[in-house]
Amino acid sequence: MHCLIETRELTRRFGPRTAVDTLNLAVPAAGVYGFLGPNGAGKTTAIRMLLGLIRPNAGEVRLFGVHASGGNRTSLMQRVGALVESPSLYPHLTGRENLEVTRRLLGAPRNLIDVALDTVKLTKDADRRVREYSLGMRQRLGLGLALLNKPELLILDEPTNGLDPAGIHEMRDLIRRLPDEFGVTVFLSSHLLSEVEQIASHIGIIHEGKLLFQGPLSELQTKQQTQLIVGVKQLDAAIDCLTKAGWNVQRHVDGVLNVAAKTSDDAISVNRLLVDHRLDVFHIALAQPSLEDIFLTLTTNQPAGRRAA
Amino acid sequence: MSLVRALHAELLKLKRTLAFRVIFVLPFLVATLQFFIAWRTKKFPTDFNLWQTMTTSSLQIWAVFMLPLLIALETALLNGIEHADKQWKHIFVLPVPRYCIYFAKVIVAQALILISTFILAALIVVAGIAAMYVRPELANSGAAPYAFIAKQAALVWLASWLIIAIQTWVSMRWSGFPIPLGTGIAGTFFALFAASASVGKYYPWLLPMNIFLEGRATTAIALGVIGGILATVAGCFEFVRRDVLS
Repeated sequence: MHCLIETRELTRRFGPRTAVDTLNLAVPAAGVYGFLGPNGAGKTTAIRMLLGLIRPNAGEVRLFGVHASGGNRTSLMQRVGALVESPSLYPHLTGRENLEVTRRLLGAPRNLIDVALDTVKLTKDADRRVREYSLGMRQRLGLGLALLNKPELLILDEPTNGLDPAGIHEMRDLIRRLPDEFGVTVFLSSHLLSEVEQIASHIGIIHEGKLLFQGPLSELQTKQQTQLIVGVKQLDAAIDCLTKAGWNVQRHVDGVLNVAAKTSDDAISVNRLLVDHRLDVFHIALAQPSLEDIFLTLTTNQPAGRRAA
Repeated sequence: MSLVRALHAELLKLKRTLAFRVIFVLPFLVATLQFFIAWRTKKFPTDFNLWQTMTTSSLQIWAVFMLPLLIALETALLNGIEHADKQWKHIFVLPVPRYCIYFAKVIVAQALILISTFILAALIVVAGIAAMYVRPELANSGAAPYAFIAKQAALVWLASWLIIAIQTWVSMRWSGFPIPLGTGIAGTFFALFAASASVGKYYPWLLPMNIFLEGRATTAIALGVIGGILATVAGCFEFVRRDVLS
């Protein structure tokens, strides 16, 4: 697999706290890679190390198969666009002038400004000062800045942070189009699983600085066992009965039981067992865990919730 | 090439900023003050040389007071626009070496200070001509000594390089105005005490003023230029290695 980003044992400590702990990322070319984790998981620190904004205490970053060190980082960054957290803009300049500042720094052709404005749908507002822009427009302009040098790799850190639902929708649509229309590989960090689920083909889950999972989205879904959700009046008696019969049972916070099960035959067996013990079953369903359930299981060690299959 | 691109970008960033307007305002204040002093003086000595007096006293006020404050203000404004919206993280991920960004900032600050100092030089000529108009007895001072005024202005500017280097580093290191301006004000304030001491010969904030003092001019220019270059390189060394955490 050809990887655009690879990290080896990447580590960064801030005093006694290890923000990123021996991180081994492998981001394949093409598609969208969702880098997921709760707030404070180490996503931004990892991204800043990828981009050379902060130096790691240990480990290395490889971009396009090349070790990204001080010497060759400048040439590698010609192939990378980035938007780190909120966009950095000059509010006293217009949208077009902001792009022009970056264009001058890049030494890029002038016509790329119009292309970028068109891509992020800001052509109409290009000559307004950025201080008059809404948050969504600022975010789109930030993306336009990242796209200006026609990058092969786009690194976006929480690009929808602070946006309203319409802004999130707009941004998501824009990011989704990028791999197909522009051939860009997108590395996207977010703490919102629902957002990543809709656009990512690959996923990496980070928690407390450690990478808990990495691979295709489909692989993540198959990792979690199907569960049987059982609603029963006599919870303790049901747990006792099912455990004695060899079922793996967990009490869910919602007042139902989660039973490790795979098929509808398992559901029939569990139901029959409970009914035979004169327990009042009012709900029984096989549940395919949502990505959110898996994410929560991985990052908080909570028992998985459910979604009816 | 990257440095030229960085300079080109810096020029656009100045658009609609206070940094550009200030370079006109301060020289105007100094020249206006000089004009009023000449106008309101009751009696001039017989050997009074308008151009010598007006040039020296304007540039001395400039060197000891206005210039250090202008440098503090300009460098704080130039770098403040990068701190304001956390621009450093955007700039540092672009394929431009960090040292080019740093040198571009220093060069633009030097250029603005140079322009401002030469605006003052031009306004000294205007103020002198205006003074001759309102006080006809000064007319025998003759034509303005353009070369002398330009040379003095250029020397003051060269001697200010070390202050520019220090203030640029401070304003890049700390966001907001308090620390950069505080440094400039403190530097100017302590210059009052350093002036009478032997250390005053080497004190960065006194170097532009030392141009006008017997036996100190050469040291002032050498220390201003060489010290300015060394301080810029040292500041750049730290800047290139800096982690961008916010």
